[in-house]
Amino acid sequence: MTPLPFAPLSSGPLLAGAVLATVASLWLLLPNGRDNTSIRWLGSLLGLAALAAFIAAGRRLGGLGEEAVFLIVSLVAVISAAATIVSRSPVYAAIWFALSLAGVAGVLLVLGAQFLGVATIVVYAGAILVMFLFVLMLAQPAGLAPYDRVSNEPFLSALAGAVLLGVLSLSIGRLSAGPATCCEPPSRNAASPSTASQSTTTPALPAGEPAPAAGDTASGPAAGMTATAIDPLAENHVARLGGELFGRHLVAVEAAGVLLLVALIGAIAVVSRGEAALAGDATTTRSAAGRSATR
Amino acid sequence: MNTVQSLPLLQNALTVGAILFSLGLVGILTRRNLIVMFLAAEMMLQGISVSLVAWSRYHGDWGGHVLVIFVLTVAACEAAVALVFVLQAFSRTGRLDAAAWQSLREANVARTVDHELPSIDTVPPRFPTLAPAGVLPPADENEPLQREHV
Repeated sequence: MTPLPFAPLSSGPLLAGAVLATVASLWLLLPNGRDNTSIRWLGSLLGLAALAAFIAAGRRLGGLGEEAVFLIVSLVAVISAAATIVSRSPVYAAIWFALSLAGVAGVLLVLGAQFLGVATIVVYAGAILVMFLFVLMLAQPAGLAPYDRVSNEPFLSALAGAVLLGVLSLSIGRLSAGPATCCEPPSRNAASPSTASQSTTTPALPAGEPAPAAGDTASGPAAGMTATAIDPLAENHVARLGGELFGRHLVAVEAAGVLLLVALIGAIAVVSRGEAALAGDATTTRSAAGRSATR
Repeated sequence: MNTVQSLPLLQNALTVGAILFSLGLVGILTRRNLIVMFLAAEMMLQGISVSLVAWSRYHGDWGGHVLVIFVLTVAACEAAVALVFVLQAFSRTGRLDAAAWQSLREANVARTVDHELPSIDTVPPRFPTLAPAGVLPPADENEPLQREHV
């Protein structure tokens, strides 16, 4: 970031000035009965200045923006997820789920996963959710179905979900900052030289954690010291993700491709066989009905 | 580098993921519409994705991102196959009800019977209405006959 030309201004007065400039420019630009071109020009210039001041203040404020954005998008995701599972109409549930996906994509963007955020929007909201809506339109009975207005064991299910959430929150809250020595990927460990003397510096694992393999234990601190942490916020994010995906995980990509092909063929096969079976049933019942009618 | 490995961000994101997972769990346990059950399953996958990306950012590793890409792939396959089955089930029973297939249950499980089901007419749908505005133009009887398109 290059330092801004009006650096002596601190962020607070800058933000206040931006707000005031926005108010003034909007008040000048709104129709008020008099048609004065010069006042409009003044309003436009004030608006541009307000935009620049907002951007400068946002840069100056720094981390505050990230937290606020994370709060907003996570609230959107969670509230619309709750609305998804409680809404009576399945069509509304699908649309709430789309909003929840937008919130999840925002969370992923805040976490630095730019490709995944966009891919969530494109794949989930663009393809999978539209497929759900197609099936809903094909298979929706008229009006609200009675099975949409009752639930299966709502109290026990809500209790199970809430208890699971409580336990998960408890374990999340007990996470402590520390050198992540137990969780380094093994391939990176293999690249770093490991000696048996370094295994004595390994911190004690928490109780209940499965003991890692001997090679991991020996090379964990060495990998931690090499500091090869990949910064997901650096430049060329998508290029480096693609390099990782098609480099180390190439076989998995091929397997995923085979899986997609098999799913495609399987879906088509199930559709055609099911339609043939349904047609067979329909002809038999129709001929039986015809026989009974002729009798 | 301190902005990358931040524990509060990790904890916040893991909490969001846990909430999404739990809501999806409740949804898939309670709802009886097959499609809403699948939406709830996808929501659980979303919670897992958020957790994976949060760990990936915390450790500065690409593993979580790659796993989420595979989660997306498998979710697409699962949705395709599952929706085909849902359509088949609907064409056989005429309902999207999971309880329509309760003849497949275990022998010692009681049958699901809807007891206090309110009738459909008690909940009329409320659609948004517009206030009538303007003057109703006089109707021309010949106009529908002269139109080429409706």
